Amino acid sequence: MTKALKINKNSEQGVLEVLKFLLEKGKVKGVFTLKKIGKDGAVAYSLITKSDELKDAVPFYPLMPVNAGKLLSRFTLRGSTTDPVIAVVRPCELRAFIELVKRDQGSLDNIFFISSTCGGVYPLKMAADKKIEENLSKYWDAVSKGEILTDLRSACKGCEEFIPYTSDMTVDLIAKNDIDKQCVILLNNEKAEKLVEDIKGGFLARELDKGKLDKFCGKREAEKKKLFNEIEAKVKGLDGFIDIFGKCIGCHGCSKVCPICYCKLCEFESPDSEYKPSNYETDLEKRGGLRVPPGITYFQIGRLDHVTISCVGCGACEDVCPVDIPLSSIYKKVGESVQKLFDYVPGKDVEEEIPLLTFEKEELSEFED
Amino acid sequence: MSKSEGNSKNKCAIISSKLDTNEVIIDFLKKAMDKGIFDAVLMPLKVPAGDSFAYVLIKDKTLLKDGVPLSPIMSVQGAKAVSSVTRLGKAKMKIAAVMRPCEIRGTNELSKLGQTNLENITLISMDCPGVLPMSDFLIDPEKNIRIFNEAMQKGDDTIMRPVCQICDKSSMVAGDLHIGIRGAKKDTFFMISNSQKGNDVLDKLGIDLKGDINSWQAKVKNIADEKHKKREKHLKELKSKTGGLDNLADTFSQCINCHNCMRVCPVCYCRLCYFDSDKVKHPSEDYLKMAERKGSIRFLPDTILFQMGRMLHMSLSCVSCGACEDACPMSIPVAQIFSMIADETQGLFDYVSGRNIEEPIPLITYKEDELHDVEDAND
Amino acid sequence: MEMKIGVYICECGPNIADKVDIAKVINAVSSIDGVVVAERYKLLCSAEGKRFLKEEIKKHALTHLVVAACSPKQHEQTFMEVCEKAGINPYLFQLANIREQCAWITEDKDEATEKAIRLTRAAIKRVCHHSPLEKKELECNTDVLVIGGGIAGIETSLQLASPDRKIYLVEKSSSLGGLLTNFDKTFPSMQSGSKSIQEKIQTVNNNANIEVFTNSEVEEILGFFGNFEVKVKKRDEEQSTAEFNVGAVVLATGSTLFDPMQTPQYGYGDLDNIITSLEFENMNSSGKITLKNGKTPNSVAIIHCVGRDKTGYCSEICCMYSLKFVRYLKDKISNVKVSNFYSDLCIPGKTYQKFYDQTKGKHVDFIRSTDIKITKNGDKLNIEYKDENGSKNNLVVDMAILTPAMEPTSDTSRLTEVAGVSLGDGGFFAEEHQKLSPVSTTTEGVYIAGCAQGPKNISDTLDQANAVTGKILSSLIPGRKIEPEVKISQISESFCIGCKTCINVCSYGAITFDEARKISVVNEAICRGCGNCVAACPSGAATLKHFTFNQIYKELMEAVQ
Repeated sequence: MTKALKINKNSEQGVLEVLKFLLEKGKVKGVFTLKKIGKDGAVAYSLITKSDELKDAVPFYPLMPVNAGKLLSRFTLRGSTTDPVIAVVRPCELRAFIELVKRDQGSLDNIFFISSTCGGVYPLKMAADKKIEENLSKYWDAVSKGEILTDLRSACKGCEEFIPYTSDMTVDLIAKNDIDKQCVILLNNEKAEKLVEDIKGGFLARELDKGKLDKFCGKREAEKKKLFNEIEAKVKGLDGFIDIFGKCIGCHGCSKVCPICYCKLCEFESPDSEYKPSNYETDLEKRGGLRVPPGITYFQIGRLDHVTISCVGCGACEDVCPVDIPLSSIYKKVGESVQKLFDYVPGKDVEEEIPLLTFEKEELSEFED
Repeated sequence: MSKSEGNSKNKCAIISSKLDTNEVIIDFLKKAMDKGIFDAVLMPLKVPAGDSFAYVLIKDKTLLKDGVPLSPIMSVQGAKAVSSVTRLGKAKMKIAAVMRPCEIRGTNELSKLGQTNLENITLISMDCPGVLPMSDFLIDPEKNIRIFNEAMQKGDDTIMRPVCQICDKSSMVAGDLHIGIRGAKKDTFFMISNSQKGNDVLDKLGIDLKGDINSWQAKVKNIADEKHKKREKHLKELKSKTGGLDNLADTFSQCINCHNCMRVCPVCYCRLCYFDSDKVKHPSEDYLKMAERKGSIRFLPDTILFQMGRMLHMSLSCVSCGACEDACPMSIPVAQIFSMIADETQGLFDYVSGRNIEEPIPLITYKEDELHDVEDAND
Repeated sequence: MEMKIGVYICECGPNIADKVDIAKVINAVSSIDGVVVAERYKLLCSAEGKRFLKEEIKKHALTHLVVAACSPKQHEQTFMEVCEKAGINPYLFQLANIREQCAWITEDKDEATEKAIRLTRAAIKRVCHHSPLEKKELECNTDVLVIGGGIAGIETSLQLASPDRKIYLVEKSSSLGGLLTNFDKTFPSMQSGSKSIQEKIQTVNNNANIEVFTNSEVEEILGFFGNFEVKVKKRDEEQSTAEFNVGAVVLATGSTLFDPMQTPQYGYGDLDNIITSLEFENMNSSGKITLKNGKTPNSVAIIHCVGRDKTGYCSEICCMYSLKFVRYLKDKISNVKVSNFYSDLCIPGKTYQKFYDQTKGKHVDFIRSTDIKITKNGDKLNIEYKDENGSKNNLVVDMAILTPAMEPTSDTSRLTEVAGVSLGDGGFFAEEHQKLSPVSTTTEGVYIAGCAQGPKNISDTLDQANAVTGKILSSLIPGRKIEPEVKISQISESFCIGCKTCINVCSYGAITFDEARKISVVNEAICRGCGNCVAACPSGAATLKHFTFNQIYKELMEAVQ
């Protein structure tokens, strides 16, 4: 049985109390979490060092302005943090960070993680239209009931990886009907227990309710199947692929917000990928007409090739796309297929090597034979 | 502020045609290709993939019929399309590039920056009604194509991009040829030449430049003046809303630093943006120190740095096309803000970006006697 | 490799010790990561001080050195040399200025100490990110480019040319010789001018170490003293270009005459028989002095100081050659009457007075006058003037010779751009210092000689030619090593997108464009590390060695902590 901390406040307030405690007792130098900034209540990730600044913090607010894994990678890119920091992140963000750590794009040292069973986030457009506040109670209601809202990010609706693997603490949220009154935080290891050993609150032995979560997972799986069927119908063969990306304007926004896209200079933006005049002449001869700037399908296939082994299905790509291409469905589906080939779950275990770098004599028989 | 009625030295022909603007242009291009004046045409086409609009370089004349020079959306800024064709060397074919005035201006700027070679390219523009915001268009593409065409007929710009609604350069002639609709009698168009290249094309087509350009110029001036008033009013309000560091920070509080705006911008040409480079990547201690100083910092803290840095780098070349605002996932009025600042930075040097391909960008010019309002500020 | 930084604070006698609490500074810096020793010393720039540092470096096996003392202008070189001698790369050193920037600007000891701490800490943080840059050495090129084939250029070329030293002599007209080819005789010796210059031209043409370019112009000079890259354009059928390297450049482009058309009161170009001094020299050289109608003039006026009001300076030689003209006239026309209209007579030096005394005499007048106006009087010319007392007067003559001011040649402006020099008084090339360096310019390696520097006579011109020769012989010694700038710009091949903004702002022509790769490339031999390109490049593809973003950022962040 896992030790858990119980605070008699709603989940958000409970988490804030833990963060306040850790900052004030000097157990961490900084807190990394979502916070309301500016006079219009915009929500952005922030690094907080003074506890009174926590009054505007909104951990687990149903918005992911940027995948926190990308941000934590930037935080530790030039070396691990020597001062302890605690980060409040969603399961997919934590998994993304671990995938980046495997590629030397960050360090886990001295960072504590609080995650939760994740109820998903609203699309960025809802924040742009300033409609999230009015939907907050509806959101938490659905989470506590273990229901899936229709206006969430499509990536979230079909996500089966809503239980974090490696967080030090996990807040029990999904299908827990008293999250408005009680905050239960599972302490998953000794580190976590030590952090909060002298906090004011009740300690109990608790596990996540497997039955409820399995049921919820079933709902998510059903949603996923729906999304995958839809996208499969649209993207049949190369023609279907070209059609779905017909609207693509080559802005590469999907790549820039993707936590797994970490290259300094993307191959598809480098001089090697630039169309030379001779390429144009050849293509025009063959086809009579050429879309410019060229390379859209090439970029999409290339990016799928490069990232899908580690795609955590967060959906940041789809949210940033100016022409509403259903990117997260495409990447999730391809990601799942590729990852299944190697029985690989990205970000589950930092010790598990990325399949690209492994060789087993007996593998991929379905292709070889 | 500059007027957009083109050069008073422009020569023009008056063409009779019962076709609408799109068709007139396509007809003109077909005739020119038939005569071998152009080997290829670059213009927006309705493409089957995704039922969308995209710039296509056409060699096969049969594709011309799918052309939509005045497409309802600007999926890619035309200057980027031209640049991708000739950045690494001049085109071996004679190409006619048909784009909106702001796209032509963007092309001129890129030419000055060594990012496109215009040697075998004839730039053709037309009076521009504006374009629809992408997000509005996507709600119902078919319907919105119709709505756009109707609005174009009526001269109604209220459904267009916000920067289009306050654009006073929608008839600016900065390329080689320009098709004028404003001030034309029924079933006629103005064919305006702005260069020797333009003259030669029309000459080869047997079109005499003996027309009277006055009614076009008058109507264009009329529209530009009206738009200019609208612009001043709008930008004054915008300035009070966004002026000062606090207001600016609030305006960009929802910015997620995706850099879409930078990437779709025609004049942001750097291969690796300064704000994506190692120079903005700091070690954790530095971030923690920053956080300690203020008690809390946004992470990553580079939002205003990026916006103002980008402004600093490209404002002198900004053509106010609005591609940035269309691409912003958080609906920040970034084009309006950048356009407002561009008026002022370009105004310091009496420069209008892209109006004249010979005019060097002020960054690389030096005059002993200039910038007194900045230099003598403390005297 | 582990970093071992040594920090030494100089007391600079009482200069720093009295104004900054050095103990506090030592305390404040000792704790920084990488600092293994922090000490004070009385006077680090002294011989003992330098020895001390050298020993310290060895004792603590230091990898980096920081000194807090005076201005880098004063002793950066000194301590860099200490590093080199002690075995540390001299660029792994940083000097914090706690004298001129701290001790000397405030009486408040606390303030000075606080600032000294910030500056020293900042220097330490910066030095951690320094790279061990390598000095390059080039052997200096001893060849010389001489621009201008007149007497100054010819003399300089002949004196410098040797098998160790090739001279490139570039002349814009079709032949060498310059103005001197027009002079039948020269003052005061009245010996041959044109003949002697022709002899010199022969000598030049026979000299295997002098390459002469006529009908040519220097188009481009890039580089620096000891290492100039030159492009010469020849006005031949193929418009060919010659490219070569030299170590020094001599501007000997001479002068031209003021155009009297700008002073219509002298009637030049309007009335017959009014000619300039140069035209008179040519007429004299042809053998006969005649009027337009072929007759011999009986009375000649020589008008001095033509254009002097406009130029604002005296051209030094006109009075003397006017005396020479009197002699020309008397030699060829018996009983000719010559009247000199002058405002001041310029006859300095030990020989000129004698020449003047011997020229004065019967039928030679010297009239001090102002407000001269020349009008037609039948076949003759009427010269109106105001005499010394201010009364109006006039004289009728057959012919008038004008002595126009000497002016810089028409390509002087263009050459300032090409050679990187500036213009001074009168629009002539500016010397480095009027009294102390009259033949050098502010650009090391570029010299000026002769009338290009200002109006002067032949012997002064030769003096300057000799002076330039001396300067070049003593500095451009075969085998001498020159060190091009180490802290230069670099442009990343993968990030440069070829917009050429850097090329447009480079003051030294040190960046070229590689058409094949479509990127800008820095010429390391010419780059002076000014940093313009780094500031102008929007994407940061251009960076400056020893002034990288990181180094400056770290220094700054620490200073403003």
